[in-house]
Amino acid sequence: MSASADRGLENRLTGPIDGVLHLLDRQLIDSQGRLLGKVDDVELTPTYVLDDGDENADRLAITGILTGPAALLDRFGGKLGKILVERWGQNRVSEPHRTRPWRIDIDDVERLDSALHLSVQRDGVLRRDRDALRLGRLTGMGVLDPAGEQIGRVLDARFEPDGGRLVLCSLIVGHGRPGSLLGYDRRSDQGPLLVRAVVRWMHRHTVIVAAEDAEIDWPTATVRLRSRPTERPDHAFG
Amino acid sequence: MTKVFAVALGILTAIGGFVDIGDLVTNAQVGARFGLSLSWAVVVGVLGICVFAEMSARVAAISGRATFDLVRERLGPRLGLLNLLTSMLITFLTFVAEIGGVALALQLASSVHELLIVPLVGLLVWLVLWRAKFAAIENVFGILGLALVVFAVAVWQLGPDWGALLHQAVTADKPGDEEWSTYAYYAVALFGAAMTPYEVFFFSSGGVEEHWDAKELTTMRANVLIGFPLGGALSLSIAASAWLVLGPLDISVDTLGQVALPVAAALGKVGLAVAIVGFVAATFGAACETGLSVAYSVGQYFGAQWGKFVRPREAVTFHAVLMLSALLATAFLMTAVDPILVTEASVVFSAVALPLTYFPILVVANDPDYMGTYVNGRLANVLGVIYLGVIAVAAVAAIPLMIWTRMGQ
Repeated sequence: MSASADRGLENRLTGPIDGVLHLLDRQLIDSQGRLLGKVDDVELTPTYVLDDGDENADRLAITGILTGPAALLDRFGGKLGKILVERWGQNRVSEPHRTRPWRIDIDDVERLDSALHLSVQRDGVLRRDRDALRLGRLTGMGVLDPAGEQIGRVLDARFEPDGGRLVLCSLIVGHGRPGSLLGYDRRSDQGPLLVRAVVRWMHRHTVIVAAEDAEIDWPTATVRLRSRPTERPDHAFG
Repeated sequence: MTKVFAVALGILTAIGGFVDIGDLVTNAQVGARFGLSLSWAVVVGVLGICVFAEMSARVAAISGRATFDLVRERLGPRLGLLNLLTSMLITFLTFVAEIGGVALALQLASSVHELLIVPLVGLLVWLVLWRAKFAAIENVFGILGLALVVFAVAVWQLGPDWGALLHQAVTADKPGDEEWSTYAYYAVALFGAAMTPYEVFFFSSGGVEEHWDAKELTTMRANVLIGFPLGGALSLSIAASAWLVLGPLDISVDTLGQVALPVAAALGKVGLAVAIVGFVAATFGAACETGLSVAYSVGQYFGAQWGKFVRPREAVTFHAVLMLSALLATAFLMTAVDPILVTEASVVFSAVALPLTYFPILVVANDPDYMGTYVNGRLANVLGVIYLGVIAVAAVAAIPLMIWTRMGQ
């Protein structure tokens, strides 16, 4: 039934993923193969992770998929995004919580390949019950090194499966130049050669930072690092 | 046997489907003024659409995602929206030109004024898009569009000096009374007419409509690699016939009637009738494809249910966009704007808009995340990068050339 259920594409939910590169903006498909929107944003919740034992800190886990104009417009970024969301709300003031995006719980998600497949039918699956932290707000945050100097912006966030959740493990930080969504800074085997060379050169300053070394301050939209990163995100995906 | 039939049907519809109002008008205009000296631009354009269509159809078959899904995933929502609006505007312009083209073709047959026919055509296009099955739209108009082979017959009947034609084509021998700037302008226009972005939106979305997967790749490649070049040959025969009949008389092509004139001269009334059938089929088919492409693009950007593979009431936004664009296109034509002028503008702007969708598709066709082992091979990538350059040059040159030559005056 689903147009892409048996394409033999790998289910990405079982390994590490980059939130922006692999999850954001993907098509949402329900258990019947019907389309119901896009992954307009991703809900993150500080979650206490049990295993490993040594670390008790709250880690950010993916707890839901956000969809609909309220989520999409917010991602237009900065002032423009704020104004657009506000206008979206004013469009119909009689409707409560209109500026809160629609949400699908991560437990209703079955697999992620070229689209995000739900384990449920689309009828009535959307909820508008809370407003939480969003991946779309994490990306674009300014990143400060231990000396307080800005070294770039958050381009993407890497998650890995841990205790049944996808948990934030590192941030990808670079100068916000165009082309970081193309994937060339994440894998070194993607052609064509010429495009790869140009895009990788543009993103030669991109580094990867462990989540433990980063202190995310949501209200001021900045990330403070505890050490200066040097590692490149090159070879994570083949 | 059914496989052979499917491949043959696919190739035939690709030939008929390749030619639309842009190819008809541009090739006749160029033929009348430049003969076959710009054939290379058609060849470059046809090879380009083969490269582009093969890549995007392969991406659609393997990943199940059509063009604007990928545009948004690779460019992000902001740049993706800008891209969507630009591409939609140009596809809509082509949609207007095709509906106008149907009306002009029917005017040739009935002598009823075009403005009286336009609302009827708009209504018919909408009805077909709403009610008809996807395969029916693709096959019926594609096959009927083959009537345009009458142009090749006309060239043969006119008994030209084949050696001189070939020489003109091979040496790109520009007639002495034309400027190099207009020559370059028409090269870009021919390129844009052959490599219209909507063809790729439609082709890749059609792949998703028909649930293609890796098994269909051979059929798809046969359609593209045989059908499109033969469609290109049809375009060249339109140019050749125009050169043979209109060239010596110094007639420039401003109406659809003049496009058909060489056929009438060579084959008489019957030939003209066949040509008009071809015009109607080619433009009506392309009107359906462009209309669908507009609605596909919106659906794919916002993720709302799109497609003819579900019932209209399951894809309400999709059908609302279809109806609205048919209505808007009809209204636009009712301002008595000249459809030929809209056509000329649409082919040039097509060249401008090409990189917007070509580049993301080239990247995704190389991404193992989407494609697994079906990523671009060496040939696809060498051609893909060469065409990235060609497309960039055409896109940058198009508008300056249009202003400089005052649309080829």
